[in-house]
Amino acid sequence: MSGNMLLEMVRKPLVVAIALIVVLLFLGEALSPGFASVQQILRLLIVAALLGIVAAGQNLVILGGREGIDLSVGGVVSLSAIVAGNLMSGMDSGIPLAILACVATGAFFGLLNGLGVTLLRIPPLVMTLGMLGVLQGLLVVIRQGIPSGRAAPALSEFVTRPFLLGLPGIIWLWIAIGLVMAFILHRTVFGHRIYAIGSNEQAAYMAGVPVKRVRIALFMLSGIFAAIAGICLLGYSGSSFANVGEQYMLPSIIAVVFGGTPLAGGKGGYTGTMAGAVLLVILQSILTTVNIDESGRQMVFGATLLVLMLFYGRGRAMRA
Amino acid sequence: MPKLKLSGVSKAYGATVALRRGDLEIESGEVHVLIGSNGSGKSTLCKIVAGSVRPDSGEVLLDGKPVAVSGPQASRALGIGIFYQELSLAAHRTVAENICLPDMPVSAGVFVDKVTLEERAARYVRLFEDVAGEGFSADAPVNSLRADQRQLVEIMKALASEAPVLIFDEPTSALDRAQVDRFFEILRDLKKEARAMVFISHRMDEIFAIGDRVTVIRDGETVGTSRIAETDPAAVVRLMVGEQDELAPQTPEPEQARTTTREVLLSVSGLSGPGFVNIGFEVARGEILGFGGLHGQGQSSVLRAIFGAGLVSAGEIMLKGERLAARTPRDAIRRGVAYVSGDRGRDGVIQGRPIIENVTPIHYLRNRLTIARPSALRDKALRALEALHTKFATLSHPINSLSGGNQQKVVIARWLIDRPDILLLDDPTKGIDLSAKADLFALIRKLAEEGMGIVLYSSEDAELLNNADRILVFNGGSVTRELTGADRTRYNLYHAAYEAA
Amino acid sequence: MAAEATLIPRKTSGLKRLFERFPFLPALVILVVLFALNGFYQPRSIGLVGITGLLKTYMPLMLLAVAQTYVVYAGDIDLSVGAIVSLVNVTIIVLMQQWGGEALPVLGAMAVGIGVGLACGIINGIVVAAFRLQAIVATFATSIFFTGLALYVLPVAGAPAPAAFWRTYGGRFAEIPFVFYVVVVLAVLLYLLARTRLATQLLAVGDDAQGAFQSGLPVTAIRMKGYALCGLFAALAAFCVTGDTASGDPLVGGKMTLSAVAAVVLGGSALSGGFGTVVGSVIGALIIGLISSLVYFMGTPSEWQNLVQGLAILLALMAGILVGRRARA
Repeated sequence: MSGNMLLEMVRKPLVVAIALIVVLLFLGEALSPGFASVQQILRLLIVAALLGIVAAGQNLVILGGREGIDLSVGGVVSLSAIVAGNLMSGMDSGIPLAILACVATGAFFGLLNGLGVTLLRIPPLVMTLGMLGVLQGLLVVIRQGIPSGRAAPALSEFVTRPFLLGLPGIIWLWIAIGLVMAFILHRTVFGHRIYAIGSNEQAAYMAGVPVKRVRIALFMLSGIFAAIAGICLLGYSGSSFANVGEQYMLPSIIAVVFGGTPLAGGKGGYTGTMAGAVLLVILQSILTTVNIDESGRQMVFGATLLVLMLFYGRGRAMRA
Repeated sequence: MPKLKLSGVSKAYGATVALRRGDLEIESGEVHVLIGSNGSGKSTLCKIVAGSVRPDSGEVLLDGKPVAVSGPQASRALGIGIFYQELSLAAHRTVAENICLPDMPVSAGVFVDKVTLEERAARYVRLFEDVAGEGFSADAPVNSLRADQRQLVEIMKALASEAPVLIFDEPTSALDRAQVDRFFEILRDLKKEARAMVFISHRMDEIFAIGDRVTVIRDGETVGTSRIAETDPAAVVRLMVGEQDELAPQTPEPEQARTTTREVLLSVSGLSGPGFVNIGFEVARGEILGFGGLHGQGQSSVLRAIFGAGLVSAGEIMLKGERLAARTPRDAIRRGVAYVSGDRGRDGVIQGRPIIENVTPIHYLRNRLTIARPSALRDKALRALEALHTKFATLSHPINSLSGGNQQKVVIARWLIDRPDILLLDDPTKGIDLSAKADLFALIRKLAEEGMGIVLYSSEDAELLNNADRILVFNGGSVTRELTGADRTRYNLYHAAYEAA
Repeated sequence: MAAEATLIPRKTSGLKRLFERFPFLPALVILVVLFALNGFYQPRSIGLVGITGLLKTYMPLMLLAVAQTYVVYAGDIDLSVGAIVSLVNVTIIVLMQQWGGEALPVLGAMAVGIGVGLACGIINGIVVAAFRLQAIVATFATSIFFTGLALYVLPVAGAPAPAAFWRTYGGRFAEIPFVFYVVVVLAVLLYLLARTRLATQLLAVGDDAQGAFQSGLPVTAIRMKGYALCGLFAALAAFCVTGDTASGDPLVGGKMTLSAVAAVVLGGSALSGGFGTVVGSVIGALIIGLISSLVYFMGTPSEWQNLVQGLAILLALMAGILVGRRARA
């Protein structure tokens, strides 16, 4: 019986993720002393925050169900980083306009995705895949002719330097996003509606939920979160370069899955996703610490992801 | 020795017990009827035999020997064929491919042997040739067929197994008279071949026409088996319902007294749409208007159309003297219309979510709330649930932890926090237990007394006769008869439902 | 609904049947239009040389789209196809380098390549069908693993293919370009595969996996075979990549994965499974190829080409889905 309870505990994605994070920190420290130092952990958290912010939007779209997924987030991150870089071009005074422009851009592409998915009923995977192609094309257009932009000093400082209680601003931002997400999902009617359409869209519709509007909002939020991540990424790397966002596309989905939100939607939440993002980043970081080739690193990373997935959301057996 | 014997078979899904103790014995050469109300465990029992559900306990004996039915493939190998109530067809494949799907003939080991496949399929298609209707052919994709035709394909698929044991889980629910007759002829032939057959149906006349023995299941337990020749419908129903033999007190007081102060809440005129033509009626404050007739004669489509969830091509709906042209359920809810579907799994229950979230959506919408404060809503939610005697642990338990009847109560309770003017009930008691039905009808009458206008469609005649003040009988998409006062008899209802449209 | 089905006039239902049987018809129309436009802007592009070039360049994507189609039939997806292409590409390059560029060693290397593709497919099948992991994330994880293997086999791009290999792929036999033979072999292969029991079973699983299981189909084994078939065709795609680029590159296939998915959708197959054709996917891959050449021939400024291409593909995806749905509804 207690074994059963232990098993139940182990099945809880958040518990698994946090336990694994602790294990990996110890492992990292053992492999390379200093891995689990405060400095290192802060650096990891900054990287995790970037992924986590993208994953917030991804999480919302997935929660909304109907095969919800957003493959265009990577494109929005890249675009946002470039737009922000060009608008601020190294000056603090450009920050407000840059934020405004980026958020508007993210919301715009999210809106297009949402309209395609709801009004035209294009499957999300197809719609956002097509949008990714458009965004990548747009990146080429913008980068030609305009010199590559640079981050404003205040932005870089916000992302990389301690801001309050020794934590950089981006980590505070991430915590704030976590709180806002928790509030939205559990304490707003909108949040309840997200779960409702993800769990049973028809029943939600019959209970008066404006299904299409909610779904469009989810895609817009996904675009906005990706845009915010793009700005932060600019601050992290100092200058914008091509396709920086691509590396976030599938990892943002994995972070969500590791956080306990199945791709079918309707259940899960953002707290788990945050842990999932940290887990992914630590895993990658450990692999860069140990002294093996890029090839070995990728193999171990891929295999570890598979093993971890065995803990999460395995499909139902055909014969119950 | 029975051909197939099940003893003490049980199955639970988490807290929900689907089958408590299933016993069944089938002889070769008999049609064995299995009967019980919805959710009593019949389908679970069948699926255990067919290998698609894993039993928790119990024994299956074939020809007296215990066998392990480890899956559908194993079941087929043991000589068991099944018709699934929810059908097991591949929508984009042809009729012939579906018939042969479980055991596709191959040539050279890998290629589909089209000639053999078509020959084999033709054998079973031929059986229903003259009753299958227009558009039915061996090369038609299944998704181009009507509901009754799909059901025929599933029958053919089961027959094509040529298994000594055949299980038919509600094979006739969508078939017309001629199709059922043909099916029964086939069953009689199979009886001569000494096949052992299980037949599930809710139609008493069918059961007595084809059955040899009948086994009754109630609340997941086998309660008895008798020879059809030695029993009668009344006795079977008594076994089915157990102690409580009537679901609600007989006819409420006549409604003459109230007609003087008749205030019309809902008035529908000339309403047409897919599945219904020129429907007109009025619902007064405090009235329970019944929709009767055979299943699928447009009753449900009319209710959904009023609620904004179905199409309207012509006609007018007036709510309290104002035009109600709801384009979505959202519009209708805001105007004070409520709708409860009998298909709670599809239209009602938000699976996996807490009970509180299943009770509150209408309240949020009607009060245009944006912040959800469960603690503030607790009392309102509890009061609504209490009105229906809903049994649940806490408001934060997932709705799936409840029995079917209690889930439906939660779905209905969401309409009770803010009272609507009009309550549309679309076969609301489908698949829920008798005590839940009694609670529900007691509440409905109370709501009517308090001034709500109620439209009740029920597929069970007794529910209509006991609860509705007036009954409109639907036939072929229009209202063919109105039964009021003393005319509300089972005979009249039956007669109006079956007469040609 | 019952009434509707009988009320629909004959003509409409004939068209509906046509689409039901040939779901790639909208794609075919788009293909013909694109072909005509290409010819209008650059007459030479629709001559023998132009078509040969197009086929040579887009044969890998055509094959990869076919590979993806077999898993999509069953309602699955494989995001590792590009990584499999990379792995097979570097494997045969390294083997041909070690064994020599003569006919026999080349064929031997290709046999190993087929084996590698199959093995990758089977691994995907085990992970998705037997372990019941979610296909999108699980095949993404295997793609990382396969990419790692490819990097292990050949850490940096650039190892050349033996001359015999790419000269054959780009050459002519009896005055007919080699790729046309490939097209003929592919056509025969696809024709035969469409007639297998496996193809029907995959589609039946995609239609209703639970129903197929309850009918007694070995659903897990069928899905695994779909992934194996996918791995096999990814290996064939890798051969064409090698013939076209004449070198080994451990990351060559990565970009192709999503294009292959797009090609499948363009070809009229439903990602939810149960409905589609491999011919459609081949057409879809050609549409992607013709769009990019058209954008070039139209004289679009180079920095705008990607954007126009992306927009055109997005529009084609949307149009295909909308037209297909309208036609079948």
